[in-house]
Formats: sequence, C-alpha cells, structure tokens
Amino acid sequence: MMKQILLITDGGSNVGDSPVIAAAQAYAEGITVNVAGVIDEGTIGEYGAAEIAEIARAGGGISRIVTSRQLSRTVQMMTRQTVAGTIRNAVNQELRELFGVNDVGALPPPKRAEIVKVMEEMEETMSLSVALLIDASASMKPKLLAVEEAVRDLTLSIQARTGRSQVSVFHFPGDTQHDYCVKDAGWTSDASKIGSLFGRIRMKGTTPTGPALLQVVDFIRATCGKISKTELTETPIQGTRGESNGVRSDYVV
Amino acid sequence: MTTSSNEQRPLPKGTEIRGRWNGKQYRLERLLGLGSNGHVYLASSGIGYRSACAVKLGFETSELQGEANILASLDSSEKGRVPFLLDVDDAVIDGKNIPYYVMRYIPGSPIQAYLRQHGPQWLGVVGFRLLERLAQLHEAGWAFGDIKSDNVLVGEYGRVELVDYGGASAIGRSVRQFTEIYDRGYWFAGSRIADPAYDHFSVAMLWLHALEGKRLVQLTRTLLPQNRHPRELMKLVRSNARLAPLESWMEKALNGKFENTKEASEEWRSVFRSSQRLKAPEDRVPRWMAGLLGGAILLSVSATAVWLLQ
Repeated sequence: MMKQILLITDGGSNVGDSPVIAAAQAYAEGITVNVAGVIDEGTIGEYGAAEIAEIARAGGGISRIVTSRQLSRTVQMMTRQTVAGTIRNAVNQELRELFGVNDVGALPPPKRAEIVKVMEEMEETMSLSVALLIDASASMKPKLLAVEEAVRDLTLSIQARTGRSQVSVFHFPGDTQHDYCVKDAGWTSDASKIGSLFGRIRMKGTTPTGPALLQVVDFIRATCGKISKTELTETPIQGTRGESNGVRSDYVV
Repeated sequence: MTTSSNEQRPLPKGTEIRGRWNGKQYRLERLLGLGSNGHVYLASSGIGYRSACAVKLGFETSELQGEANILASLDSSEKGRVPFLLDVDDAVIDGKNIPYYVMRYIPGSPIQAYLRQHGPQWLGVVGFRLLERLAQLHEAGWAFGDIKSDNVLVGEYGRVELVDYGGASAIGRSVRQFTEIYDRGYWFAGSRIADPAYDHFSVAMLWLHALEGKRLVQLTRTLLPQNRHPRELMKLVRSNARLAPLESWMEKALNGKFENTKEASEEWRSVFRSSQRLKAPEDRVPRWMAGLLGGAILLSVSATAVWLLQ
C-alpha cells in the first residue's frame, strides 16, 4: 500500500509547527509528501517557493510551482511519478542488496526489460491512497475552482488503475482553533462523488500548514492501517484475476 | 527521489553515439521532437551511415525501457509487418550513461498540417486509414491512448502512420499517456481505462481540432469544468459545414457508441461515400424532363379520351 499526501498551497505557512518537520514526520511513517504551489498573477515570493521545495524534499516527494490552468495535469503527473519513483527506489535497493549493482541502468537491456515489466505491473496494481490537503486561506479563493477540477481529475485517473486506489480531501485552516484542518471527503475512488467540495468554506487568513499536515498523517494512520489488514486476507482473490495479468505477460523482448 | 527537472539540452547535429552493450553506432542528424521524458532524433546508422532511423534518448532508464517493452510487445503481437523496435542500448555522453532505443523512422507530416496543406477533401481517406490502423492495434489488444495531431503522421496520398507508441496501453489498464483536450475524462465522457472507445473519442476530437480548432480552444477556455460534456462538442460539429455531414459518426464516437473499431471505420466510409454520391448531378432526373414526360402522358391520355368518345 502506497500512501501519499498532496499539499496544494500558494504561499508560506504562518501558524504553528514547521511544515518541513511535519513532512519529515510523515515520510518517517511511510507517507510521501508532494507539494503543488499555485500562482496566477505575480510571484509566489522567494520564501514561499523555498518552503514548498523544502517540504517536498523533507517528505520524500516532488514539488512544482504552476498556474491554476496547469494544476490538473501537474497533480496527476506528480502522483504518477511518485508511484513510479517509490517502486523504482524499492527495486533498486533490492538490486543493490542482491546483486551489488547500483540501479536498473547497470543491467544489460534484456535483463532491464524483464525488471521494468515487473515494476510496471506493480505501478498499475499496487494499492494507492492519496490524501489531498488544500490551502483555503483567503488568497487561494480565486483558485479553488481549479483545485476542485484537479481533485476530480486525479480521482478519475486513480480510478482507472487496476490496483485498489482511493482519494480523500482536506482543507485548512479549520473552523476552530483546535481544528487545524477539516475533512471534506473521506476515502473514495468514485470521481462522480467528488462534487462541489468547497462550497461553504469561510476563507480565513491563517495558514497552519504544519499542524494541518500532522492532522492528515493521523487520519491516514487511523484509517489505512485497517485497509492493509483486510488486504492481506484478500490477496488470493487478486491472484485469480488472471485476465489483466495475462496481458502483461505477453511482453516479450 | 529529488525535485530535479527533466530539462536537458538537445545534442548537436552530427553527434555520434555508440551503444555500450550492442556496439551499434548512430549519427544524430536532426531533432524530431522534444518529449516529457526524452528527445527523438532522426539518425543514420549502418555502413556509411546510409540507413535512416529514429533514436529516442531518454532521461530515466526504466521509463524508457518501459516504452521499448511496449514496442517489442507490439512487434510480437502484430506479426507480419516491419518491426518498430530496432535496438535498445546506452550511450556514454560526457561520462554519463544515457539510455536510448532505436525505432523505424517514419516520414510524414502531422495530420493537421497535412489537411491544411492538401485540403480537407482528404479527410475521408486519411480518416479511413487512421481507423483501419487503430482497428489492427485494438485487435492486438492495445489502445493507442495519446491520439493527437503530432502523433498521426500522413505521408504520400493520405497514408497514415501512428508514432509514439510508447504511450500505448494494454486494453483494460489505465491510459498511460494522454493530452488533455483529447481525453474523454476531461470531457466527462468516460473513464481513463484503455479501451477502443477511448481512441474513438480522441479521433473525433482530432477532427474537431483540425477543422474547428479556434472555437474548440475558445470553448475549453470559457466553459466551466462541470459543464464539459460531449453535447457541447456536438454543437461545434453541427455548426461546421465540413463536420455537419459527420454528425452521426461524431455523436457515436464522442459517446462511446461504436461496438468496435471496424464498425467505426465502416461507418466513416459510408458517410463519405454517400456525400460523394449526393453531389453527382446525373443521379437525379431534372425537373424539366419530368415535366415534359408528364405533359406527354397527359396529352396522349386526353387524345385517347377524345378519340374514344367520338
């Protein structure tokens, strides 16, 4: 089971714990953190841009700064790249330990072809949970339509995977001082269920990115542990789904 | 994983590369395209560098190998044609290993440029060729996925070839690669699971983009995301003189109503045949001739009546 948090924001945090430390904590718990910075007019500011890059580095993920028109594409691509990257890292580590080679590229092309087949099979079939954490501070208001569209688009892509995949959505700041973020949608894999998410949000000025991140980590810990347990019992059922596996086994080089 | 960007400067013309594993040599002649995960060059190989081929140099070994795997797999599932994949290897450039694979070079111009240059009267032939090619691909268990002008090359007399098979997906899997406005998910017209209908949708978008491009782009700018729907696209179809005759074909393609690609191509063919027939004037009897005949009959009937009554 791969777990990701995708943070969509437009600037620097200003309340509570450091988001960089929060992202590092998430990564330590096996959750990759990606960050999409959205700018439309003007710049994101040197501080904001540096923070975005650093959150992603601490969270083992990728960061991109884009306009709201590019957001759907970017979110989708980051998620996909992270899945591929996670598997690539795991496979390369195995290769190092078993064969003493650095990475896939050190093998001759025919061997490489075999390993890449396995990697792609995993990319398509491993289960994936992505929690989206959306900055809904006042300056984000004009961008929320684009954010909603990106969420729908990501859900659609994730839904097409063979492996079990789900998305949940949070926004921050929350309504009270003790709630740093609010859950807008629990785990779902149905794009049509992601309707108008942010209709009733009251925009506020604060940006408690760090505390909100940690709250989402808690949510993933609380909900995804159970999922991986049920998954273990279901493994044999997945194994009998021979059809989709058969397609890939046609690969011959 | 790092936040490194994939931007790499293209290699200069005339650069010679030599495979680390297979030892084959290539000379890069011209940059053909910049992709998100690599650059494609027209190259020459063999004795005296006399045979042309296309070389894709990539940034990420496993991604590039994944594409080469698809080409190899297509070569083995579509026997009886010239293979796509010719070589897979690494070049050492500035002390770094750069993975690449070599494909058959396919000359031709992108379909939109072709139609602009040769006129939209080629649409019938070009479209039929494209659908026939897709029918073969679907038959072999693959969906092309990323159909767009740059990936559909037209050569002499409307001969169509697809390029960039690296984005192809096994039917039933998720679509590996797509372009937003050609994507049926973007238009709320279905999933991103690869199937023949996914390609039918993109083909319909290809015609819309080629013949009504300005208004299509305008539509994507102005339409709210939740209002994207095939019915908006059909409005453009109906208001365009070239596309209007294709209304029923477009309607089916945009709504995933074709049983299979053979049906889509048969129907395409019959639309163009019937429009060709309508234009032929000798198929209809001119009105004056019909009037003359009517008058002659009337005259003879009345003459007979007069004669009988006498």
